[in-house]
Amino acid sequence: MYVTQTRSKSDRNLHMKKLDFHMHTVATASDSDFSFSMEKLIEYVNSTELDAIAITNHNMFDSGQYAEIVSELAIDVFPGIEVDVDSCHILVIADPCRLPSFISAAEKVTNEIPDENSCISILRFQEIFGDLDDYLVIPHYLKKPEIKEATLGAISFAVTCGEVNSPKKFVRCIKDESQLVPVLFSDSRISSNLHVFSTRHTYIDCGEISLNAIKACLNDRSKVALSKEDGNNLFQVLSSGLKISTGLNVVIGARSSGKSHTLDLINKEQRRIKYIRQFSLVQTDEEKYRKEFESEVDGQQNRCVDDHLSGLRSIISEVVDIDLVSLENGVESYVDTLIRSAEEADRNDSFSRASLFSESEFSLGDDNSLTALISSTRQLIESIDFRSIIDKHVDQVDLKKLACELIDVLWENTEQRSRRAIANGLVVNVKRELAVRSSAIQISDVDFYEVALAHKKVERFCEVVKNVRSKCKIKETDVQGYKVIVRKEPFEGAQQLRALSQRNVAFSNAMSVYDKPFDYLLELKKIDGLRDADFYRYFVRIIYSVENSDGFPVSGGERSEFRLLQNISDAQNYDILLIDEPESSFDNLFLKGNVNALIRDIANIMPVVVVTHNSTVGATIGADYLLLASKEKADDNFEYKIYSGHPTDKILKCEDLSETESYVALMDSLEAGHETYEIRRAGYEVIKN
Amino acid sequence: MKLLKIENNQGYFLLENGEYETIDKLTKEEILKLVNQSLDADEAVEFDSIQDDNLQNQAHQIIYRNVLGKLRELFDRRDEYKDRSERLFLEEYDRYKADIADEKVGDTS
Repeated sequence: MYVTQTRSKSDRNLHMKKLDFHMHTVATASDSDFSFSMEKLIEYVNSTELDAIAITNHNMFDSGQYAEIVSELAIDVFPGIEVDVDSCHILVIADPCRLPSFISAAEKVTNEIPDENSCISILRFQEIFGDLDDYLVIPHYLKKPEIKEATLGAISFAVTCGEVNSPKKFVRCIKDESQLVPVLFSDSRISSNLHVFSTRHTYIDCGEISLNAIKACLNDRSKVALSKEDGNNLFQVLSSGLKISTGLNVVIGARSSGKSHTLDLINKEQRRIKYIRQFSLVQTDEEKYRKEFESEVDGQQNRCVDDHLSGLRSIISEVVDIDLVSLENGVESYVDTLIRSAEEADRNDSFSRASLFSESEFSLGDDNSLTALISSTRQLIESIDFRSIIDKHVDQVDLKKLACELIDVLWENTEQRSRRAIANGLVVNVKRELAVRSSAIQISDVDFYEVALAHKKVERFCEVVKNVRSKCKIKETDVQGYKVIVRKEPFEGAQQLRALSQRNVAFSNAMSVYDKPFDYLLELKKIDGLRDADFYRYFVRIIYSVENSDGFPVSGGERSEFRLLQNISDAQNYDILLIDEPESSFDNLFLKGNVNALIRDIANIMPVVVVTHNSTVGATIGADYLLLASKEKADDNFEYKIYSGHPTDKILKCEDLSETESYVALMDSLEAGHETYEIRRAGYEVIKN
Repeated sequence: MKLLKIENNQGYFLLENGEYETIDKLTKEEILKLVNQSLDADEAVEFDSIQDDNLQNQAHQIIYRNVLGKLRELFDRRDEYKDRSERLFLEEYDRYKADIADEKVGDTS
């Protein structure tokens, strides 16, 4: 009884059938244009060693072309169609014995979905195909456009498997009983331009190939696999046939043996790759690091600083054009002329006796607060989000009456201001002409309100700057175990200002009056190339820092680790993670303690390929699969080869069946050869003793 | 309505009470009133022109000439000053006024 339950591995391999049940041979409205090539299809099927395929064009079935394909290929070819249903795609694959009824259903689909923007409802889909149990029905599952839960619910009785678009998602579904059984197909357009054949196929443990047998297999997650011999541990990643683990792969090899080349090939042939290139995690340039930090690592920081300093910004715009010196001069001149005119009252003549000779101008003022009030009233009237609350408390009509009355006042004010301006113009002209003729002293005009307001504004500005400059923490954010801290403190020297400006200009004059905010602002105005809008940045220094969990500033290594963490957390949005020589960014202790663990963790949820010639990574990371890149002489040329095997295998094998010893490969790649390793080990032994 | 007149070599401007005052007594408030009258006048406004020697007082001449020139210009272009198309919130004003009127109609019907 025990024997009948357990089939040997080789037995199972004989039964493994390789399927591609999703491919396109007709360019429909839903495809970009291509022309089908029968030669290419034959080449594809032969080189990828497929056991069965299905033809699944968008919303149509070309029975003539299907018959031609069947006659040209030696393997089983199933008729199928990819239907747009409720904005998702569903594959329907038919039994070749029931071709006539499938053709008539497909024709209905074609008629009802004439273009790429149309689709049918799930109910109509069921009406058209009738008994769905007669077909193999495969919706897009973890693949866009994904089937909606409600749509899947309506046909769940007929659906056992769902299409995914990567080995990562395939493995996720296999492990999770609550998900559909996954299938991975090429979704290729078979055209003469197809140069790299897809590696996305599904193996099923199926004795004979018939629609019913395949359906039975696709109802049992133990019967589907990514590879022929190794179940779901390995999958084909390159069209050359190279397989890698769905977990952690380590690529070793001598210098220039094609390690990085292998990563590049994977990057080219597979989709949705996260590729962390050599040295990319190292950041030695502090300034560059800081900038990158501000802009990329936490793009919100800039906004946080801007928000924090927005008050300062607006008050700077209020005071930046105030000219205290000329206002003072105006007052002085007023007092001076007033005294002199009193002293020389006897000199009055007909010109100076005219009222307008010493007339002042109308103060014009503005309607800023009235305009703001009208805008607020308007907001109350037009608000949609808070309509019900506003209506509960204030009557709409009353609000409109209020707005109209305020607008009336605004218009009246505007009108009055423009008339006063006309009168002012007259006053100025007459005064000037009278003064020219008169020998009397004309008292100069001054607007005391304007002078007083300017002084008050400057005073307030200085208070604000003093408060802004106080040293404190603005924001603290936790990012993966690190603290990103934004602080502010006063500038300490002109150099800091110059670094901030990124210009070769002198800030020493400005810095000398840093304690007098308004004078400082005036000095900033004198510096060429500084924009008024940026002045606020020069009042207080903003400092970003990253602290580790102990509250100390991070070291270079920790910084690289932080970047690795950022990259790895981003990698979860991709299907494969490639890392080229992590040792280029970390020292050995970090590699062993932190980086290896991180890489191991992410390899639990997605395929990871690490290129290394560092023994700390290569020998201790706990790889699931070992790949040895090798550059070998073949006839007159060199060729790149990849040997692979599990880390415990004594022999690594190549696709061309050649072999190499694992021990020698590891010694040569990671330890500079057996001899050096032995010497080094002996050396350590001596010190230890 | 004569806003400015010349008599006995002296310039005069019209006061609110209908009497005239010599132009050297003109203040900015009085200028504003004259400006308003020139722009808002329902009837035609008139001014005495300066002839060769009808205004010999130099101070009067300076004031009269400036004021006369400006008021004439304003009176001639008073329609332009009344153009409301450039006013702020005009569109909202018209819309709200219409809504208020509709509401009143709704109440009475």
